[in-house]
Amino acid sequence: MDFHKDILRIDCKSEVERICSFIQQQVRAMRRDGIVIGLSGGVDSAVSAAICVRALGKDKVFGLILPEKESDPVSAEYATKQAKELDIETETIDITPTLEAFGTYQKRDKAIREVFPEYDDGYKSKITLPADLLSRDAYNFFTLKIDDGKGNIKSARLGKKTLNGIVAATDSKLRTRMMHLYYYAEMKNYLVCGTTNKTEAVQGFFVRYGDGGVDIEPIAHLYKTQVYQLAEYLGVISEIIERVPSPDTFSFQVSDEEFYFRIPYATLDLLLYAWEYNIPVERVCETMNLTEEQVKRATRDFAAKYNATKHLRQLPPTLE
Amino acid sequence: MSVEQEIRRFLVDDILFGDGEKLQVDISFQEHGIIDSLGFVELITFVEKKFGIEIKDDELIPENFDSLQKINRFVESKLNRRKASPSGEKSTS
Repeated sequence: MDFHKDILRIDCKSEVERICSFIQQQVRAMRRDGIVIGLSGGVDSAVSAAICVRALGKDKVFGLILPEKESDPVSAEYATKQAKELDIETETIDITPTLEAFGTYQKRDKAIREVFPEYDDGYKSKITLPADLLSRDAYNFFTLKIDDGKGNIKSARLGKKTLNGIVAATDSKLRTRMMHLYYYAEMKNYLVCGTTNKTEAVQGFFVRYGDGGVDIEPIAHLYKTQVYQLAEYLGVISEIIERVPSPDTFSFQVSDEEFYFRIPYATLDLLLYAWEYNIPVERVCETMNLTEEQVKRATRDFAAKYNATKHLRQLPPTLE
Repeated sequence: MSVEQEIRRFLVDDILFGDGEKLQVDISFQEHGIIDSLGFVELITFVEKKFGIEIKDDELIPENFDSLQKINRFVESKLNRRKASPSGEKSTS
């Protein structure tokens, strides 16, 4: 198997055509009249929406922009700007009241207060994994970081109970978005388009019945760096292309790398490819200028995340 | 019960659902998928509480936790350092 630094370069024109055919086939097969897509202000949804428009025409693509009070304000701004570029119909719904009714913030804050009793409305929070896996080996343990709004930051390693409490509450944001997407999809007889890429799918960086709760996944075969290539090709707005990728679900802003991946995307995608296709370690080291230990560390991390999230990629088990 | 026995019992009962067959003393947890990241978090909490030691973030590395043998060695060394310290205070390094 070939392996070099440009192995993930794609022919954007033919790739877009291939995805368009896929989308057209799926819409026909599911007997739907169009597509609903959540626009997050990030590159994955921008690319997916642009391809949907090419596949079906702008009148058959409906964009939903679903901010909440802790979203980065530029997310909705960029999503709106991108939708205008595509000339698609959109609706913006602030999901904060739904989340408040469910108790998302209250439940999350209660979990945080188990560690930091002083945590209140003036604070911001995020959770992160140890940084820079290639420089230093460490297990995947989550650290809670809080900012009191005056720049005073505190952090603490999380135990299972608090971590699960924070994650469960935070994931309800994505599940609430899924609920809104399906409301419009059913009302319009559309299908819901997912925006998960391969880097995320393989490592379980999505929420089951949240952003993973969709009808089709047209970019789940593409690594994040390939999504960026399509973004350039499709003319996605520069604000989105230049933005640091983030889950945008924490009040204290956190990047995808800080939150989950621990390796910058450009390196991560090549290493993931090497892992997927069993490229010999020596070849990977030589091509990427990494040590054997660094490559092995990355692949151990991929295997751990892949195995721990296997169930997310499967249908619920049933008896025969 | 020895340190190793305590840890083994915890892993078998609380992490491996009673299935300790694979848990040989030197088997790599990472390579054999013995525990996932949540299991690891539980293990650290257990070790800190059970043995009254504080484990720093930079000690959470495979060298210290990737097998029963490594954990045993790590915990024993922490306990020995505590015994050696004149105040007998909680070990933090």
